[in-house]
Amino acid sequence: MPIIFICSVPFSGGERVAKSLAQKLGYGYMSREDVVARANEAGIPVGKLEVAMVKRPSVQERMARLKDRYLAVATATICEKAQDGNLVYYGRAGHRLLPGVSHVLRLHVLPEHGQRVETVMTRLKLSREKAEKFLRDIDGDILAWVRFVHGIDMDDSRMYDFVANLENLNLENAATALCGVAELPDFRPTPASQRAMQDRFLQAQARIKLSLDDRTADVDLTVRANDGVLTITYVPLQARAASLISDAVGDLPGCREIRCTMASTNVLWIQEAFKPDSETFREVNELARRWGAAVELLQYKPGDAPSDAVAVAVGRSAAMEARTGGVEDDVPEARPSSEEKSFQETLEALVHEGRSGGGQRVSGSRDRLSAVISPSIPYSLVVLGDLFLDKPPATRTRLVRELSMFLGDHVKAPVLSTADLAAKLHLGGREVARGAVAGVLVVLIYCGVFLWQDKLIDLLGGPAHKAAPWFAAVLVALMAPVIAFLYGSVLASMMKWLKMD
Amino acid sequence: MSHLIGGIFIQLTWGNALALVLLGLVGGILSGFTGSGAAFIMTPGMMNLRVPGVVAVGSNMAHRFGNNMMGAKRHAGLGNVDKKLSIFLLVTALAGVQLAVWINSKLFNLGGGGEGHGEGSGSGAVSNLYISVVFIGVLTLVGAFMLRDAFRSPDSKEGAGPSMKLANFFSKLPLPPYVHFPVADVRVSLWLVLGLGLLVGYLDGTVAIGGFVGVPAMIYLFGVPTTVATGSELFMAMFGGAWGAISYAYQGFVDLRLSCLLLIGSLLGVYIGAYGTKVVKEVLVRMVSSSIILLAVLSRAVAVPVYLREMGKLNFSEAWVPWLKGGSTAILFAAGIGGAALVLYHVVKATLERRRVHATLLVRTTAGEP
Repeated sequence: MPIIFICSVPFSGGERVAKSLAQKLGYGYMSREDVVARANEAGIPVGKLEVAMVKRPSVQERMARLKDRYLAVATATICEKAQDGNLVYYGRAGHRLLPGVSHVLRLHVLPEHGQRVETVMTRLKLSREKAEKFLRDIDGDILAWVRFVHGIDMDDSRMYDFVANLENLNLENAATALCGVAELPDFRPTPASQRAMQDRFLQAQARIKLSLDDRTADVDLTVRANDGVLTITYVPLQARAASLISDAVGDLPGCREIRCTMASTNVLWIQEAFKPDSETFREVNELARRWGAAVELLQYKPGDAPSDAVAVAVGRSAAMEARTGGVEDDVPEARPSSEEKSFQETLEALVHEGRSGGGQRVSGSRDRLSAVISPSIPYSLVVLGDLFLDKPPATRTRLVRELSMFLGDHVKAPVLSTADLAAKLHLGGREVARGAVAGVLVVLIYCGVFLWQDKLIDLLGGPAHKAAPWFAAVLVALMAPVIAFLYGSVLASMMKWLKMD
Repeated sequence: MSHLIGGIFIQLTWGNALALVLLGLVGGILSGFTGSGAAFIMTPGMMNLRVPGVVAVGSNMAHRFGNNMMGAKRHAGLGNVDKKLSIFLLVTALAGVQLAVWINSKLFNLGGGGEGHGEGSGSGAVSNLYISVVFIGVLTLVGAFMLRDAFRSPDSKEGAGPSMKLANFFSKLPLPPYVHFPVADVRVSLWLVLGLGLLVGYLDGTVAIGGFVGVPAMIYLFGVPTTVATGSELFMAMFGGAWGAISYAYQGFVDLRLSCLLLIGSLLGVYIGAYGTKVVKEVLVRMVSSSIILLAVLSRAVAVPVYLREMGKLNFSEAWVPWLKGGSTAILFAAGIGGAALVLYHVVKATLERRRVHATLLVRTTAGEP
């Protein structure tokens, strides 16, 4: 049965709906307060974190590591409880903690405003005016918190499977109606979604262990878990920490292997079918080599129907290794398809190159795709490879462009198609010609400046300047940016040629 | 004055031309490394090469004008520019630049600019002294703050960054009207923004070090995220720098030859310096930056008695003059070259290490296989 996440604002009745739903279904119940209590026990000052993040964006950067720890504790707490059985969780956008897990039912409870104000007036003994201001402030803070922590707008209805508007709906009836929704087969666990959840749990546990160990607490690490394989990347300037990572993580249940990769940054490569001998692989690998980046593979099957994100480990097919779940009999045992094999081989090739950042697979809508892209991983680039393979070339180009624009709005990194990537990587004939022309112009300008110094000085500060000072101003206004642009173009081409850009 | 053409522009020799290219390279490396304009080394460096202070400032502004344009374009592409914030700052920054140009020009003419630019003693000594004093005053504060920050909060400890006391203090001040800046996602008093713009413009126009105050002020006083503060400052500096360069050119204080020579080294240096930040610990970046700034301040301080003597305000033997000038130059170039060499050392070391670390470093199979 699903894990039910109910999101709402305080004094909305959402908590009562959640408790009632848990009781009717016989599920366990957990709220954000439990997560906060666990985080405080782990030494994370959640109150301070909230105030800092909501009030001052500049502090958010410095609190990023603390935020990651909090998210890890929250994820681990929910996964731990959900593993024991069915669960109803009441909080703020908690479903974002389990990207790629499909047996999650996401509900948003919208309050009836008048009732909410009355509740605040009664409970906090406030005047109507003060109660309304109190609610405005608290709602604003919660929206800001959710936007920063999860990168979403909490009020965006696309984030939820169902929205219960309490304006015309009784709390009890809302809970009763939602009981039916929870029974729908769409939200039942599958082996793949259970495996995805175990990976999220493993990833969170590893992150917590690393943050609690003094030797690694202050190291900037990226942690991914894929089918029991932990891939941990660290930046070159903290290379000394590499040997400590494995010890700090220790033995975690469900962890088959730990891989530590040194990477200055991360590149996310999204494609429908991967091949290690393809031109795109060479391009991406070349880029990763130049940037010292780890490459994360995301196999994306576009479509309207949502489905699971499946984490994949090297040398082991997801389908072959699927662990048993509650409805495993419904799933026929599958052999790895050629696509899966190619995916594995591509991952293997990246591991061999020392550039693996892990991999996962997802299918469904664009929203589903963006949900599995972790906002806490600092990607430098998102590469859109071959996608929409069943469409005609012209449609494919348009769809890739649209997806690129969509992801550009949702991911904090430039999004490039493979065609753009090739242009970025290689010094084409046109670019060589442009660089050569810029070089010739720079030489001519410099020759002009230094061969006719006397005349130039006269114009800039001599008698000619006295006669027409505006000419010097125009000369500087034109020449300074032109020289910088031309010389910059020459240098950029040279750096690209030397593969040092 | 014999070394100056028309009392303002230096005679170029192979030696000082090469020194200017080297100065550009060192400045570029430090600029890419510290993430700021390297006027703290370029301006005094040119002055040490006997370029009058006002010409050093004007020529450096012309050189940075193009650089800022390209940097701002790059930041804008990454979404790091809050154009609304930049435009609000720019309104008063242009006035600040104009004020600085006016003061500098007046002082240069007052303190003897030779045939073309006033008369008096000491070939622009008053202007040089004024620039040096502003330079020393502002950069002592900035350098000391950065150094204290580097020692106090190693980049390890969460939340132990620079103090937010000032930010909290200013956020509580009732100074309406307030303006919301969407990209930075902050709400700031209009008066604070306009005041900062004026200060940044004045410092940019005086010594071309506006960014040293503008970026930290945006971060600590307004609560702007670091990347947005840098991008927005560059965007503003593009217009402010252009305005300053054009204003100085109109006054006859821009030597394009110097700008061209600086540019040869600086653009290349920026590439190297920017790479250095990826392979050097942040705490070391802050320590190196602050040390170089404080050494640049010391270098200027050593030169101040010379200007005072030229103005007749201080009396000591002429035999001391070359020692003081030489000492000032030596300190500055040692600091700049030392800092740049340190960055280069780390860049080369990291490149070699990267070649060695080819494969995935550690692979451990655990006992907990499911």
